[in-house]
Amino acid sequence: MLFPTVTFAVFFLIVLPVSWALMPRQRVWRVWILIASYVFYAWWNWRFVFLLGASTLVTHALAVAIHRAREPRLRKTFLGLALTFDLGLLAYFKYAGFFVTSLDNALGRLGVENASWIVNVTLPVGISFYTFMAISYVVDTYRGQLVPSSLARFAVFQAFFPHLVAGPIVRASELLPQLERPRDSRRIDNGRAFALILSGLFLKVVIANQLASHIVDDVFAAPNRHSSLEVLVGIYGYAVQIFADFCGYTNIAIGIALLLGFRFPQNFASPYTAVSLQDFWRRWHMTLSRWLRDYLYIPLGGSRKGRLRTYLNVMLTMLLGGLWHGAAWTFVAWGGIHGTVLAVERLARDRRAARGLAAPADTALRRWVGRIVTFHIVCFGWIFFRADSFGRARDVIERLFTAWGTASPLVTSSVVLAIGVGIGGQYVRPEALGRVFGAFQRLPVGAQAACAAVALMVIDTLGPEGVAPFIYFRF
Amino acid sequence: MHLPQTSAGRSIVLCFLALAFASLLNAEGLRKTAETQPQGVRRDLALEVTHPLVGVSRALHLSTPRHELQIAIGRAAEDRIDATVHLGRSQVSHLPRSTPKRPAESRTPDHPARRTLTRPLRVWVGGDSLAQVPGEALERRSGKGRMLEFGSVESRLSTGLARPDLYNWFTRIGQVISDLHPDVAVLSFGADDAHDYMAGVPRGRTVGPFGSPSWRAEYRRRVDGVTREFSAAGIVTIWIGLPIPDGPGFRRSFPIVNSILQSVARAHPKEAAYVDTWHALDGAHGTYTPYLRVNGKLTLMRLPDGVHYTAAGGDVVAEEIIRDLGRFYALP
Repeated sequence: MLFPTVTFAVFFLIVLPVSWALMPRQRVWRVWILIASYVFYAWWNWRFVFLLGASTLVTHALAVAIHRAREPRLRKTFLGLALTFDLGLLAYFKYAGFFVTSLDNALGRLGVENASWIVNVTLPVGISFYTFMAISYVVDTYRGQLVPSSLARFAVFQAFFPHLVAGPIVRASELLPQLERPRDSRRIDNGRAFALILSGLFLKVVIANQLASHIVDDVFAAPNRHSSLEVLVGIYGYAVQIFADFCGYTNIAIGIALLLGFRFPQNFASPYTAVSLQDFWRRWHMTLSRWLRDYLYIPLGGSRKGRLRTYLNVMLTMLLGGLWHGAAWTFVAWGGIHGTVLAVERLARDRRAARGLAAPADTALRRWVGRIVTFHIVCFGWIFFRADSFGRARDVIERLFTAWGTASPLVTSSVVLAIGVGIGGQYVRPEALGRVFGAFQRLPVGAQAACAAVALMVIDTLGPEGVAPFIYFRF
Repeated sequence: MHLPQTSAGRSIVLCFLALAFASLLNAEGLRKTAETQPQGVRRDLALEVTHPLVGVSRALHLSTPRHELQIAIGRAAEDRIDATVHLGRSQVSHLPRSTPKRPAESRTPDHPARRTLTRPLRVWVGGDSLAQVPGEALERRSGKGRMLEFGSVESRLSTGLARPDLYNWFTRIGQVISDLHPDVAVLSFGADDAHDYMAGVPRGRTVGPFGSPSWRAEYRRRVDGVTREFSAAGIVTIWIGLPIPDGPGFRRSFPIVNSILQSVARAHPKEAAYVDTWHALDGAHGTYTPYLRVNGKLTLMRLPDGVHYTAAGGDVVAEEIIRDLGRFYALP
């Protein structure tokens, strides 16, 4: 069930009023929202509901065991079991084919007779997201930062439909306290919720889908058939498409959660205004960045074990972050590009500090140079992220320099406008948006409905026919 | 940023009102969505709801803003439904007999004379979502020195020859012939046609369940009609068969479509060919496999849905297409 569909609209119109009607009776509400979430998930493939249920049951049982165990070794054993189980599910469903083919091809290069066994596993939608949430739950319990809640609350936490299939990756410490008691029905951020939902729909349906169908897919399918200008605009187009697609989804998710009375963490903060790659990762998929920091980078030693080890930890974190996005070496390369640049930025800072030099002055020129350089590094990384093989990525890069001056029919005014809106929109100040939310909030309900309806009509009319799936669903 | 807050009741009222207003403003689009649903209770219900909605919307002129916006962006006809099966001279208004008098499979195929090329072949690829990746693979193989000049890939999700109400390929094929003048039309249809319902049949008539003799006869008429349309314009038609799928449902339905595509291609040996992707992509024991060895390397051929091709799978299909083109043209 995709958010921008009539099916979801009908589903939500049933879930929303019943949810608020049952809210005072928390036990019944939990059953209701759990049923709704499982129905939402079963819409793709009902068989995977059992997988989600198993993940919930086993993770919760082991979290409780960790909490109750007094013996440190026993706690560690239970933690190991939980991590093995959760990562095992992810490894099997997401990476089995990747590991088998990589091993088989490596053995083939060494002249070892190929003895491959074919793995054919369907990837359950959202598994990367709910597995990361499960891991944070058991690790936080192990660290003593969390007391396991009841099974029903944990089940709702993990399966809550707004975040279930593509995030944001909500932490137990953020959502479980909100599940402890009924939400206050008098304190709903209507303005923000509707602005997030409508902006999310606009980003997905109008910007992302248009760019995908008008330039990006064509350029990445056969780069050698396109001019350098088309390839360049295609890369910029993909940068905007993936932002609009993913930010659009999480905006809708956050808005829907707000209408149900829950607050999710912010996931994007104008990432293409970043002045450095470190800044970019504070603005892009923020809930993943902090997950990787807290559950991978810091356990690896973070910056506590010397400079060389710090750079290594940064690189390892980004390589694994790349692999999280997809089971292919191109994603690892994407992580490697980000890891290298992050390590170089850190090295430059460390050297400056070692020489006792002050940080460079924060001028407008420096900021703009930083933004332009960072955006282009990010775009370079997106080539590997989008290309289906290294050969295709190489073709894209080669073509970028070898076909200037030829016709560029794909570079149309609507494509340039979509890219302009996608990037320019990130420079709109949050205060300006706040004023719009506030003005919407103060309107009478009829006027609010009319505004929202006109916006929905415009989005539906401008978007291409049909609904393309969200990019992050496959992660 | 602190914003004034409101009650859940107001939020619920707002959601209902906003979607009600939006339904009136978008009534024409909703009606089209309802019309193009598969036959069944869901479609019937959607039609029951959208029919009065369109009436109210038109009476209050609430459909005007959407229509004006569509005109402004050059998509004025988007809400219209054209379910007519345009098949040029071969168009018939009645359903054919359920069994053809003489099965095409029994004909002895003729071998076309290979045409020598004096200029690159113009190739056009069209069809459902399965057309996209082989089309892109063909595009990568085209260019100078290869005598293939790529036109475009027109891939429309969830469309086919059974549902012209969803997207009318018969109309589009007429436009392609007159506007694009390709030498070769590569077509991929059928994956979304395996339903008991076909649009474009005379009012009050149905084609019977999927795979029934009457269904096969009508589908064959459409495939044959498209082949004749292209053939009359001197265009070679390459029908891409459906690949071996993962899953019992498709494994039953795809061979039915493939047999029709194959029989029509056999009936037009000088103008059409059938590309057997089923056997090009099956495993050693004739079963589904997502991987095949390419130059000794285990390569993923199929997407996780067990139907669509990866880029490498598309390359295999494109190779088969080029090999079949070699029957008609002396390709370098």
